[in-house]
Amino acid sequence: MSAPQAIVAMTRRLPRWTRILLLLSPALLVVGVFFVAGVVQGVAQSFGYQPFLPGYQLSFDAYRQLWTDPAVRASLLLTARVAVVSTFSAASLGVTAALLIRRLGRSRGLASGLLQANLAVPHLVGALAILLLLSQGGLLARLTHAAGLTAGPASFPALTADRFGWGIIAEYVWKETPFLGVIALAALSRGIDDLEKVARTLGASRWQQLRHLTLPLLAAPVAAGSILVFAFAAGSYEVPYLLGRPYPATLPVVAFQGYRNTDLTARPEAMAVAVLITVLTATIVTAYLTLVTRLSRRTI
Amino acid sequence: MSDSRASSGVDVALSGLSRRFDDTVAVADLSLRLPAGSFTALLGPSGCGKSTTLAMIAGLITPDGGEITIDGMPMSNVAAEHRPVGMVFQRPLLFPHLNVEQNIAFGLRMRRLRKGEIRRRVASMLERVQLGGLASRRVGELSGGQEQRVALARALVLEPPVLLLDEPFSQLDASLRHEMRSLVRRLHDDLKVTTVFVTHDQSEAVEVADSIALMLAGHLVGFDTPTAFFTRPPSLTAARFFGFANEVAGVVSAGCFVSHDGCIEIPSDAADGAATLVVRPESLWLLPVRTRTSVAAVGTIVNARFAGSHLEITVQRDSGEGLTVHAAIDQAVQLGAAVVVGFRPGGCTVIPACSP
Amino acid sequence: MRRGVLLALITGLLLPWIPLLIWAVSRQWRYPALLPQQYSGRGLRLLADPHTQILHGLLTSTVIAVTVAGLACLIGFPAGRAIGLYRFRGRRIVQFFLLAPVIVPGLAVTLGIQVFFIRYGLSDRITGVILVQLMPTVPYAATMLGGAFANYDIEYERQARMLGAGPVRVLLTVTIPLLRPAIALAALFAFLISWSEYVLTLLVGGGQVQTLPLLLFSAIGSPDTNAAAALALLVIGPPLLLVGLAARTLSNRSSATIGLARL
Repeated sequence: MSAPQAIVAMTRRLPRWTRILLLLSPALLVVGVFFVAGVVQGVAQSFGYQPFLPGYQLSFDAYRQLWTDPAVRASLLLTARVAVVSTFSAASLGVTAALLIRRLGRSRGLASGLLQANLAVPHLVGALAILLLLSQGGLLARLTHAAGLTAGPASFPALTADRFGWGIIAEYVWKETPFLGVIALAALSRGIDDLEKVARTLGASRWQQLRHLTLPLLAAPVAAGSILVFAFAAGSYEVPYLLGRPYPATLPVVAFQGYRNTDLTARPEAMAVAVLITVLTATIVTAYLTLVTRLSRRTI
Repeated sequence: MSDSRASSGVDVALSGLSRRFDDTVAVADLSLRLPAGSFTALLGPSGCGKSTTLAMIAGLITPDGGEITIDGMPMSNVAAEHRPVGMVFQRPLLFPHLNVEQNIAFGLRMRRLRKGEIRRRVASMLERVQLGGLASRRVGELSGGQEQRVALARALVLEPPVLLLDEPFSQLDASLRHEMRSLVRRLHDDLKVTTVFVTHDQSEAVEVADSIALMLAGHLVGFDTPTAFFTRPPSLTAARFFGFANEVAGVVSAGCFVSHDGCIEIPSDAADGAATLVVRPESLWLLPVRTRTSVAAVGTIVNARFAGSHLEITVQRDSGEGLTVHAAIDQAVQLGAAVVVGFRPGGCTVIPACSP
Repeated sequence: MRRGVLLALITGLLLPWIPLLIWAVSRQWRYPALLPQQYSGRGLRLLADPHTQILHGLLTSTVIAVTVAGLACLIGFPAGRAIGLYRFRGRRIVQFFLLAPVIVPGLAVTLGIQVFFIRYGLSDRITGVILVQLMPTVPYAATMLGGAFANYDIEYERQARMLGAGPVRVLLTVTIPLLRPAIALAALFAFLISWSEYVLTLLVGGGQVQTLPLLLFSAIGSPDTNAAAALALLVIGPPLLLVGLAARTLSNRSSATIGLARL
């Protein structure tokens, strides 16, 4: 008997629980070693713990600094704004696109292919494309200049490296609208046609079908996708670094810059920001999930 | 049940209805009048166009030609959501984001009824379909029979004058199907709603409906009572669909059908000319050899099979077609034995060759 | 009205590509000209120039992404089988546990363990980068294959065993072929996630492991827009090709798309 054969034969004779644990263990090991250890270490180091270094002192200093630091407060605001605006815009545009594409005839395949192609594009490329489109020397600024709307680069509104975060939002919306659109399109293809037929025989007008049947059915998958979009928008580094300004920067940029600071005393604060990001995303996700479950249990 | 307001049905008329899908004709020149409060089974094998017909009545498919009128009103410009029609589909198609109560209330909400009114009518409907305790059950937690009850209640709560059922119980098991048929029958008798029930199962059609419209390959081939279909089938194809297993070719002359070999003679009032005699296996019986009767055929037993309630015996006639005979299970049968097959004249139908 | 809205959406989708594509073939495109002053193939030629390290980056990126995709499927497959086929207590907790790394930002988590990569000599090396990229990819592969196993009928395996196939042959001739579309998609997305990963590679690779995203990041920061735009085209090439090949399988699977949120 060859080695793999022996292993498979062995697992077959194992008790159920052992078999399940064996099957799960490699994946759980990866998540445990990198994710759980990462979170635990992040929390510990935010309290001043320094692995492999003697003489550290545990304290709440980092969090106290965080609380009083106006830069962090501005950064928190910016991060929340960017994530919320991006998520809501991408969700509504994505659902709109899906509803429109569904009614297309032959060009439906082409349109959904366009959405899928956009999904595969790395965010870094998206950031560059948005930069070349929206910056004050970008294509849009040239077009407004040619149309006589703006006099020069400075009179074009700052859409990248701006205070509000328009450029960052534009990149997220551009990348995530197709993502949520594809999710909505997939949900629409699953027998919704038949349910809409039933709704018609029950007297629902087109608008009522959309309002009482199609949108509620899209809510669950689109909400699940939106959670991922929100978490990504709140936690990614390269897009806000490239399209935002150094101050205020989003939380991930602050955390990463602080961590790379040659001054090692800045590390606990960087870790505290990382913990803040983790807690923020976890809280929002949990709150959102609870809300969605509660909403889906409405009575007449 | 306090809700005594019964919706009463209206008449439905189809005239010259037709529909093609690409190259295939689904429904061809179909005309049918269904009186108010009637219960009609639209019967036929799969692909005969019966579901297409139903969808055209509901307004979900637009006919290529012909006219549908409901209660005297032409429907050609009336959208599905505005037709006075309720429909139950083959699959329950319950809305997954709503519970039982909300599913039944859906149509009432679309009509913007007051909440109290909605609640009252939904509760009353739940009682009618015997789902009293399940109002707040999620639809994923229902059995197949319960799901179709909810679908039925969801359609009937709107008190439609016309109810269309598209093979609603074909995915349930036999005993449940029987129970659901009597429920539908009872609801029809209570509410007097004009009901059209699509099915491919002739026994279901016979059990549930007052009249049967038989469709084959897009054409209506017969519209009559179940008894009529069983005793006097209108055509050869109808006869085959209703289990007339035996066919004998012959001619009619002077009020008498004579088979080609001249052995079988049956009185018939059909017009003179070529014709086919059809007879069910249970209208034939075995007689001892040497019996002399004009309504009999001579042959040899070539096969006998136990079929539960009876024996199914195949007799090869000395000349002409084979015959299938149902006999009592205690009948002594010997393979290869010569027998005489007797015909019960009342069970024989003569169909002229010119009919489809 | 409908057509207009759809047209606007598609325009918005395609518009950012225009300046990128133009820049990839322009030597000089000064404001406020609508078209470049000077077209040139220089940017594209630079991609193949041995002095720019781009070819080396392409190789590094490919090796890492292919290895990560393979490992993620290898580790995710048994986990997916456990989640999809068995109904055990704590199954939902395991599912949630496996999804957590997909939701919680990787940067926030990796900062805490970076010192361990240094300590155990995994930092600045491809091995370390591959290991850290398992964090976002394995949970995704496990979840996706779990979904595939949930719709998988284990009776096929029993049937194969009744016909005399041993455990390994059942795995190779029944289970894997039946789940091939799901495995291929899980591998595709693990590849795409790895291919686009920037910050984890930077943290653990320490700038020594130069994948294409790292090269692109510094190119975007440089004044040479022509080179950056050309490099961006190289970076999107393999993903577009792979998604194009998988388009048919992709459109039939909504669960698959979840993975794309990480890209």
